[in-house]
Amino acid sequence: MADMILQVKHLSKAFGSHEVLRDIDFTVNRGDVTSIIGASGSGKSTLLRCINLLEQPTSGEILYHGENVARPGFNAPAYRSHVGMVFQSFNLFNNMTVLENCVVGQVQVLKKNRKEATEHAMEYLEKVGMAPYIHAKPRQISGGQKQRVAIARALAMDPEVLLFDEPTSALDPEMVGEVLGVMQRLAQEGMTMLVVTHEMAFARDVSNHVVYMNQGVICEEGAPKDLFGAPQKQQTKDFLARFRQN
Amino acid sequence: MDKFIQLGQDMAKLWSNYRGMYLSGMWNTLLLALVATAIGCVIGLACGILNTIPYSKNDPAWKRFLLKLIRILVRIYVEVFRGTPMVLQAVFIFYGLPYFTDNAMRFGSVWSAAILIVSVNTGAYMAESVRGGIISIDPGQTEGAKAIGMTHVQTMTHVILPQALRNIMPQIGNNFIINVKDTSVMFIISFTEFFAFHRYITGVNNMYFPSAAIEMIGYLTMTLAASFLLRWLETRMDGSDSYELVQADSLTMTAGTYNHPGKGSPYDERSREYPKEQKGGI
Repeated sequence: MADMILQVKHLSKAFGSHEVLRDIDFTVNRGDVTSIIGASGSGKSTLLRCINLLEQPTSGEILYHGENVARPGFNAPAYRSHVGMVFQSFNLFNNMTVLENCVVGQVQVLKKNRKEATEHAMEYLEKVGMAPYIHAKPRQISGGQKQRVAIARALAMDPEVLLFDEPTSALDPEMVGEVLGVMQRLAQEGMTMLVVTHEMAFARDVSNHVVYMNQGVICEEGAPKDLFGAPQKQQTKDFLARFRQN
Repeated sequence: MDKFIQLGQDMAKLWSNYRGMYLSGMWNTLLLALVATAIGCVIGLACGILNTIPYSKNDPAWKRFLLKLIRILVRIYVEVFRGTPMVLQAVFIFYGLPYFTDNAMRFGSVWSAAILIVSVNTGAYMAESVRGGIISIDPGQTEGAKAIGMTHVQTMTHVILPQALRNIMPQIGNNFIINVKDTSVMFIISFTEFFAFHRYITGVNNMYFPSAAIEMIGYLTMTLAASFLLRWLETRMDGSDSYELVQADSLTMTAGTYNHPGKGSPYDERSREYPKEQKGGI
């Protein structure tokens, strides 16, 4: 039986009277690379932010190893340290160098000693090719480099699952490749990933599960070759057709 | 012209007779302003953190009540101490305390009373500056910190406040300079700062104008020194603009590792950077 990490049940989220997510159900198993695709405003990012409790769901459950994390009074910081997140706008700490960005969480949250944390951080910074820049401040490096550091920062916490919120949307086209390359390598190494993306090629070639969202509901999901090859619903066909034209 | 020569001579006479008094007054003023600004900053930071602890509908009722109470108390503190003159606060605290407790409680020294009054006053102003500084930081910074599992206090102390503090450095400088000047009202509780000596010295010899001129120059010297020191501190906080590369970055696309449609064409910037044929080569 597959090792289930996250299970989302009947999740709904409303901002005032505007319902952004309605009755979302899906699961993330260990080793899964799930891509969430859909038009802007379809609720993809909100879903990801709900999973990391950056937004509090209006109703429904998010089970992490069977424990509901969306209940009142839940210890969110401890849970978040197991669920990494990479943002569209990088959100590196501007007051720290590249290396400190990857060390501070390990020292403060995981209570590792600084030497151990630094070695661990260097391991991942080398993996994303940012080891040369450890003394630079975020304002001194490019967008693609910032995003690679953000990935290393999330990885250094040894998360069980990594959430990506449109990681390449804020990047210049020539920098997209270096970030997607790193993500592809992570996927091959068996990292569990949940990726909100507009990169259809990535969704098709790298992930093993694709979720298509439309207007706050999961419209269709399945293996990439089924969803891209033979979409069942009309909305999915329309959405994919728009991308093929480009 | 004669007037100025006369003034200069009077100032020189005053300075040679009372130099010790003026200097000790300046020292007291600077020390009080410095200590009180520092304590005021700590009060302001504490208020800023307390004021920004987030709560949501899902938190237990007691927590929401407590946080609301804290916000109301901080608000009252800020409004009362920002909205009344420091002279009157000094009177109320220094003379009011023994009066209301029938002399059971009183200040041991005028120093502790002066530091308390000026710091509490500065704290009220700083609380608002800190709040502004915290709001000015991109919410993404908070989200980034939360996403790696930091608590509110960790997020504040390691990520938000260091950046907010840098942004409110000009405000801290403002407060310090205001304190250097405004501590002069502490003569009301017989605190002997710079201005108190002016009152004492002119009381002895009636040389109001020369003494006032010395005071002017003295205050300006102190505030100018503070301004330069703060500017220097700000540039130090910004850190170096350069950084050292430890080795080459293998993933960034540079010439030769990246194929794009326009490669080699006249529209290719890189082909201009690295021309195939060197014109007029050696």
